[in-house]
Amino acid sequence: MNTVVKPPRVQIPVRQYFGLLEEYLKPQRASVILMAVCLLFSVGLQLLNPQIVRFFMDTAQKGGAQSELVKASAVFIGASFFQQVLNVAATYFSTRVGWTATNALRANLAEHCLKLDLSFHKARTPGELIERVDGDVSTLAAFFSNLSIHLGGNVLLLLGVLVVMTLEDWRIGASLSVFSILAMLVLARVRNLGTPYWKAVREQNATFFGFIGEQLSGTEDIRSSGATQYVMRSFFERLKTWYPVVWRSNMLGGSMWVVFEILMAFGTALAFGVAAPLYQNKVISLGTVYLIYQYTRLLAEPLDQIRNQLQELQRADAGISRVTELLATSSKLIDGQGANWSERALEVEFRGVHFGYEDDVKPDPSEQPEHLEKVLENISFKLEAGKVLGLLGRTGSGKTTLARLLMRFYDPQHGEIRLNGIPLTSAKLDQVRSRVTLVTQNVELFQASIRENLSFFDPSVSDTRIWAALEELGLHDWVRRLPRQLDAELSSANLSAGEAQLLAFTRVFLRNPSVIILDEASSRLDPATEALLERAVTKLLTGRTAIIIAHRLQTILRSDKILILEDGKMLEYGSTKILGNDPNSRFAQLRRTGLEEVLA
Amino acid sequence: MSSKPMSTWHVIRTMIWQQGALYALNTLMWGLVFTIPLLEGLIAKLFFDTLEKRPLELNITSIIALVMVVAVARALSIVGGMAADIPWRFRISALLRRNLLAHILERPGARALPVSVGEAISTLRDDPGMVEEISDWTLDVSSRVVFLVVALIILFSINSRITLLVFVPLAIVMSLTYFYGSKLEKLREQSRESTAKVTGALGEMFGAVQGIQVAGAEARVMAHFKRLGDARRAALLRDSVQTQVLNAIYGNVVQFGTGFILLLAASGMREKTFTIGDFAVFASYLERVAHTTEFFGHFMSTMRQTGVSIKRMIELLQGANQNKLIEPHQIPLSGSTPDLEPRVKTESDTLQHLEIRDLGFEFEGGTRGIKNINLTLERGSFTVITGRIGSGKTTLLRAMLGLLEPQTGSVLWNGVCASARDLIPPRVAYTSQVPVLFSGTLRDNILLGLPDDPKKLEQAVKNAVLEQDLLGFEFGFETKIGSRGVKLSGGQVSRTAAARMFVREPELLVFDDLSSALDVNTESQLWDRVFEHSSETTCLVVSHRKPALKRADKIVVLENGCITAVGKLEELLKTSGEMRRLWSGELE
Repeated sequence: MNTVVKPPRVQIPVRQYFGLLEEYLKPQRASVILMAVCLLFSVGLQLLNPQIVRFFMDTAQKGGAQSELVKASAVFIGASFFQQVLNVAATYFSTRVGWTATNALRANLAEHCLKLDLSFHKARTPGELIERVDGDVSTLAAFFSNLSIHLGGNVLLLLGVLVVMTLEDWRIGASLSVFSILAMLVLARVRNLGTPYWKAVREQNATFFGFIGEQLSGTEDIRSSGATQYVMRSFFERLKTWYPVVWRSNMLGGSMWVVFEILMAFGTALAFGVAAPLYQNKVISLGTVYLIYQYTRLLAEPLDQIRNQLQELQRADAGISRVTELLATSSKLIDGQGANWSERALEVEFRGVHFGYEDDVKPDPSEQPEHLEKVLENISFKLEAGKVLGLLGRTGSGKTTLARLLMRFYDPQHGEIRLNGIPLTSAKLDQVRSRVTLVTQNVELFQASIRENLSFFDPSVSDTRIWAALEELGLHDWVRRLPRQLDAELSSANLSAGEAQLLAFTRVFLRNPSVIILDEASSRLDPATEALLERAVTKLLTGRTAIIIAHRLQTILRSDKILILEDGKMLEYGSTKILGNDPNSRFAQLRRTGLEEVLA
Repeated sequence: MSSKPMSTWHVIRTMIWQQGALYALNTLMWGLVFTIPLLEGLIAKLFFDTLEKRPLELNITSIIALVMVVAVARALSIVGGMAADIPWRFRISALLRRNLLAHILERPGARALPVSVGEAISTLRDDPGMVEEISDWTLDVSSRVVFLVVALIILFSINSRITLLVFVPLAIVMSLTYFYGSKLEKLREQSRESTAKVTGALGEMFGAVQGIQVAGAEARVMAHFKRLGDARRAALLRDSVQTQVLNAIYGNVVQFGTGFILLLAASGMREKTFTIGDFAVFASYLERVAHTTEFFGHFMSTMRQTGVSIKRMIELLQGANQNKLIEPHQIPLSGSTPDLEPRVKTESDTLQHLEIRDLGFEFEGGTRGIKNINLTLERGSFTVITGRIGSGKTTLLRAMLGLLEPQTGSVLWNGVCASARDLIPPRVAYTSQVPVLFSGTLRDNILLGLPDDPKKLEQAVKNAVLEQDLLGFEFGFETKIGSRGVKLSGGQVSRTAAARMFVREPELLVFDDLSSALDVNTESQLWDRVFEHSSETTCLVVSHRKPALKRADKIVVLENGCITAVGKLEELLKTSGEMRRLWSGELE
């Protein structure tokens, strides 16, 4: 009879399911057991009721006592009531278990994605990732809270019916068992046909709403480019690629229903066909004929439920394979053993670094083939602890990439980057990122309070420290004027780009990095505010190693050394003083044009 | 937003009328699907009655044939029903999404959404689905009513007393759950809200990955996310347990009903006035009738939940006429999409002079914003707006272009009042401080639907000083730009946005501090190219950079949202203290 539980050749990745179940259900063992008990009793009561009806009918047929019949009805009603109570309890436990489990899975996934390197995130829109982490896992929630448990309950009920029928008469038991096995096989067959379609539906959903998300974040650009009609046109084009997928998967769902209807008709026919001759030959009573009919109909319930839940499984199946796929995507950055860096300034060294972006994360297979575009070539320099390096170069010359490498967002293809002589790759990632910090012109803010935005949700950062940092940057008056001060919610609507950039500086003040990279960090500030910032930056850079990237010469006049990049190569490197005094140096030339501009 | 949100029924009715013929076909098919089971009960009665009274006359083969014929008939109507149903329901949510998106794109671009992007996505994803679902369920309602009526007639003719006594409690349960349902609605809303918060947090998290990684704040951000997740779990748990209690009531109705039938039929069965066949019909119909009442209860509560969904969608309309949500539009599901017709420049589009009159915008609750802005731009002039951070430069541009809704004032194009709808290409094009690019090729990003004219495209790229970058791309214009253009550097994004602006050949070019993403040489090159091409070009630029200030025919100094000085650089350096501070900041 075990074959009914695990139909052969059904490609439900059972092991995957249980692998997932095990990890997340273990901490909730008590709830799982309670749920199982409720379920077991509920199934028992369901099996009991038809027996009461048979007793009732046979007694009535024989003209038995009225009181017996009334008693039987009362027992029937009592058992039914109790069964529903058990059902509610089972649902409560299963939902709780399911959501606790999937919440954990969601958090795991989100955390996993958050830790993946930038090449992963570059290839995906946030909308797409929402769909992966929340959408896919929510279908899994159905699996956790309903399927495993209700599927189990239904399989139990199915087995129960078959056992009781066999005890009644082996011929009936045997024919119903054969029927059930065949029915399950057929249903599983149909189910397997559907899986690729459900996966396609989810993928279409993800890309469609990824598209919607992009448009919603770009409303200003769409509107001002007069591209509204264009966006609406792409919307309709996307609908047209989405629809056929929906059509196919729904028709397949419909065909499953059809198959089920036909199977159930076979079941009824079988019950009639087997029971009638037995009654005609006086082997069983009329009450038993009804019992067989009733159990066959009872069989419909688990088979129907199993059908429904297998359909849910189709969705969960696609979800599971995408979730495991996502979990299997590992960061290309491998944690080292750890480094012992002091809190003080650190020496920065690049040794023959070559780097190009790889395009290997391709969710869309039609995307361009893998290729490597050299962004940095043979970069070597050493910046002593506590010194400031000014990094100059045209846009696209590789300055930002150099900064990203030092943050270890990527690893170079050749060469090595060292902090105090220790390669970045042999340290832990969070060590690198706690010692090195980067301020860019793109400031990423959360819809959360100012306090949370500045401390990055770290409750251990005291308000005093936050206020001190705000004061340092001249932001304290602005915050004080806000209705809820540090608790005020930030939104991009009431914050200018310049203010956002000052907030980004405040974040750095609240941390204690050894190496600071300023990537065009003051580019959105007006000169008057920038002058104010100068003071703060001077304080910030004291006792720290720094790399300052700027288009404007003025910003990097404070540096000890200068590195000029062109097309990813080092054009000029040396001490600011020496280069400044050498009239033939590129730096001196730049400085002349710059100063001319200032003096004109 | 004081007006009452429109009723769910109104929305459903509109959805039905818009595809009336298809709906009629659906009604027919699903009517068959739901009424055919009536025959199943009657076949069971035939079987048991024959077996009880004339067992030896029973012809099993014909009974079995009957069972199979009925099943095949039902199967065929299911297939027909699905074929009619899928396009019908798909168009419903597609229409709602279309209307929402179209409206959002019509809104002032800088303030298009009243909620976070993540929340708006979740509304566009889930809420139209709710309306689709409930509209679809009206088919079940009508079919089930037919079933219910016929079933009751049959049962009444078999035994009127039992029919009445058993089906009265069903009616009671119906009304009970109706009252109960209002509580469910509130729970539903809570769980939806908590879901929106979770998706919103996810969106922000993945939008700010680099920032989080820089700060090494993964663990703390995750803790924040987990708190939201726990809140959602609690809300969902309440929601689903309540729903299950409702289901249990329905389940009990079937069982109690069967128990009552047994009780009431006890004497009849003993006296053979109520046969086992009769009992079979009662049991069979009772189950389906109970399913039907369960469905109605479910339908009612889903109706209320859909009301919540509709309310949320109306909120996205931000006070516009609610009927925009359900406005009829063609939703083609196949075939080719017609090409766009570009807007042709007419004579009235040619800019002579543009006048901003008494423009004012204030942010809610804040003192920030702009006041009493009066400004005139002549054809071929170069105007620079400058000022400290927070002085209202960007707000001024946005309010003027209708990307924010100004509270006061107007913009006159050649003396004619121009609405936001008029201030787009080919009249005006705008490059914002932090431009957004879209996933797709560079070409698509620059053209955004304009006809592909290689000459114009090249000229635009040249004007934007992007041609060197383009040479560096292996795939040229076909280079795919990753999500939000991150594969490009900040300067490349800005220059692509500038090219997007140039290719539209607008009368007026508006730059919001484009220079911050460009180095000095590139910026000078850009201005040279803008003006070498034609002296007719009119520019309005936010900048505090010297090349722009020096070139300006007119500088506008903003302080706390007000214009405090206007003039050429030399004059202003003499007359305006703020100008001197802004100019000399770099020297300090």
